[in-house]
Amino acid sequence: MKPSLSFVLQLPPSTAYAKLEAVAENLLEGVCKALDSRKIRFSLFLDGPSLEAVGKVAKPLMLSKIRKAIEHGSLELLGGGFYDPMLPLFPTELQTMQLAKHSKLLWKLFDIEPSGYFNSSMVWEMEMTELLEKNRFEYALVQEAALQDALGRTTSVPGWYSVEDKGSFLRVVPVSQKLSDAIANDDFNWAQIAEPYCRDGKSAVVGMNIPPQPGDIFPFFERLIDFIETNEVETKTVANIVAEQKSEGRLSFLLSAGRKIGLPATAKTCRELLVRRPEVNLLHKMFMSQFHRARASLQGKELEKFFEMLLPAMSPIYYRDMQDSEGMRTPMVRWWGARFILAAANQLTDLVSFDGIRLDIADFMLEGRKFIWAENHSYSFLLDYSGGGILHILNAKDSENNLLSSWRDDGDPAVGFMDFILPNIEQQATRLDQQLSDREGLLAPAYDYQIKRLDTGTDIALQSEQPLQINAPSSKLRIEKTYGLSATGADFSLAYKIANAAEDSIKGFFGTLLETGLLACGYTSKDILVDGSPLKFNFRDPIIFPDASNIEIMDHVTESKLQLKFEQKASVLIAPIFGASALAAPEALQGIRIYPFWKLSLEPTAERDIRFTVHISKR
Amino acid sequence: MKSDLIDIQVESRGNDVELTLSGSLGTAQLEAVKEKLDMLVKGPGCFFFLNLQNAHFTSDRYLEVFLELLNRVKAQKSTLILIFGSAELYDFFSKYLNIFEVYENRNAYKKSGIKKQLQQIGLHYGLRSGITVSSGVAVAFITLILGWMITLFLIISTQGHDLADKQAQIIALQNQKERYIREIDKLESSIGPLRKLGVVQDTTMLSSFGLIQEWVGYLEYLENTRREK
Repeated sequence: MKPSLSFVLQLPPSTAYAKLEAVAENLLEGVCKALDSRKIRFSLFLDGPSLEAVGKVAKPLMLSKIRKAIEHGSLELLGGGFYDPMLPLFPTELQTMQLAKHSKLLWKLFDIEPSGYFNSSMVWEMEMTELLEKNRFEYALVQEAALQDALGRTTSVPGWYSVEDKGSFLRVVPVSQKLSDAIANDDFNWAQIAEPYCRDGKSAVVGMNIPPQPGDIFPFFERLIDFIETNEVETKTVANIVAEQKSEGRLSFLLSAGRKIGLPATAKTCRELLVRRPEVNLLHKMFMSQFHRARASLQGKELEKFFEMLLPAMSPIYYRDMQDSEGMRTPMVRWWGARFILAAANQLTDLVSFDGIRLDIADFMLEGRKFIWAENHSYSFLLDYSGGGILHILNAKDSENNLLSSWRDDGDPAVGFMDFILPNIEQQATRLDQQLSDREGLLAPAYDYQIKRLDTGTDIALQSEQPLQINAPSSKLRIEKTYGLSATGADFSLAYKIANAAEDSIKGFFGTLLETGLLACGYTSKDILVDGSPLKFNFRDPIIFPDASNIEIMDHVTESKLQLKFEQKASVLIAPIFGASALAAPEALQGIRIYPFWKLSLEPTAERDIRFTVHISKR
Repeated sequence: MKSDLIDIQVESRGNDVELTLSGSLGTAQLEAVKEKLDMLVKGPGCFFFLNLQNAHFTSDRYLEVFLELLNRVKAQKSTLILIFGSAELYDFFSKYLNIFEVYENRNAYKKSGIKKQLQQIGLHYGLRSGITVSSGVAVAFITLILGWMITLFLIISTQGHDLADKQAQIIALQNQKERYIREIDKLESSIGPLRKLGVVQDTTMLSSFGLIQEWVGYLEYLENTRREK
């Protein structure tokens, strides 16, 4: 008996960002070749940017050929999100916009309304049932593993099942990962693997990734046709399967963490990414903050236009723990993600005519404690006042970049102005760099905040006491840390008042750490200036520059410039941050660590003032 | 920490300060709300907008907090405007609706009357600068300044016209001069052969020589005339 397979072909969403028209041309040729062979019926998913490119490069005959193939049922175009996002991570309005925009484009190009939903990440939560039903989808493709979990079995799951949630109904069709891998890897045992799926005349659903390189696409289709001809495989579209086969049963609950998003097999939902990777979580929360602010302050077409600007930032590449332009481990991807959100944020600022200082004290990270979101016309930052008065986000609005976008392998977010006090011993750059990386001597008291509104700007004054283990066990510091926001300028000041609140004298080095993601996308030897002169820094070994009054980092790729001006001369450690766990590029530069520090010698009740200015601009 | 109990937003822009409270606010948050609002109304700002649209109050004691806040704001010659539109909040503030100014949003207040807003700005800056001006004096000042401005404008405008006339005259005279030069050149060229033959005597040269009293000037004159030829 001929095995019956249903091929679901998809372009990886990352293709949306490089040589897209060449990809589309080759894809059209491949699809036409497959249709001309008259031996293959298949389902195809293309995300919005790929479809737009297809519409742009397609010759009129090609489009009419595809339309005819759809009419005859030999080709099915699947629906999904315009940017193929992991929908459960986002609010309903944006989910609907993604689906509607993709569907509208399919209607415009091919006069069809899709009945099948596909998401390349294959994430699924029960709320999707209602959403997809409302958007007139009849079935969704899900991972077979998710159905196996739901059914409590490890054997193959053929056919389709039904799910219901809040009175909504949807069919779910499992895609066999094992069979897909076997066919993709030319495994001769594929027929044995397919056999349990194809019993009783049923069809197995196979997911295949179309290669993202333009030159590989046409050979891919040739190989596929060859495979079908050689093995005499009967092919169907997924819509055919759903129409012809009966339901295999009902599922009370279905959950899938998805695939190819950098999560371990034990993860249950895609939300695990937000828990595991702070960089993904911070981008997501920045996105949500813009969404909520727009919803509170805009209406009608303005709101819709703004949401349109947010849609590209929902692309799955910004929510994956992956490398090589496919996930957030790559500095360039982090920059792209921040750029989309900040472009939208700048638009929102214009729409609401905001030109002053805005402070928002709320549970920004949705983790049960408050943060301070501060912004003026040039920058915005997220201040964790209860976690040491440190910054987790520092956005330069003109250059549309988050300056603290470095990647830390230990799973902690990059920080800005994290304070340390280290023993009064001769410090070597490598040792100091290691101590900072290991967070030795960390001063992270829970501060209480005061907001002081002044004519020139607004001060966020943080006050706390911190016990120290540096000289004597009873050492204690009283720290006042004040962020002074300027109402008009592109800078803010940071002032420390450090007082010895114990009976013993305190000696050590006090410093504050910035883990910038600057220069991670490309650098030259003149990108770091200390007191106006280029620093001889090899981007491999950390160095300490003594007695600096001014340090500038200029990133020519992201067009960002960060400048620190010290009122009292400081020693500055400059060190590269590497992503050590990256297998493909074990020494990939993830950013630059800057650590200005001062010698501190405090007798009992003595005080020390330290003050510097942070200037953020476009290079 | 008290500050951890409430969600609060502050937006300062020029004379306007918008404070937004959100979430469910009960007795547990009362002290924190009071403390933060007192802290935030200190400092610059003429119009304090207190946006309560997304707040839900579970205690009447908040009314006292807002009344105290109103007094505090009035003492610094600023104004407090409550922003909300929900029936629930109208009901909550029903006792004091005649005391508080309530608008649906900031724009609604801005459109509610320029005169009262100007008066408010006057009062506020009067207190901050220590200079208090009565309405009559203010109107007189404004009239005077407006008068100055109009006079200045008229002067500039008249001078502009004069300058344009002069410019036109200069252009006309320059054109006339060029025309005369061309005519003289034409005449000179037409009588040139006659002069060479000695039929016509060059009286201009004679008269010019007669006028020149010093040798340096005479040599310069000769040089110039040769150059022209």
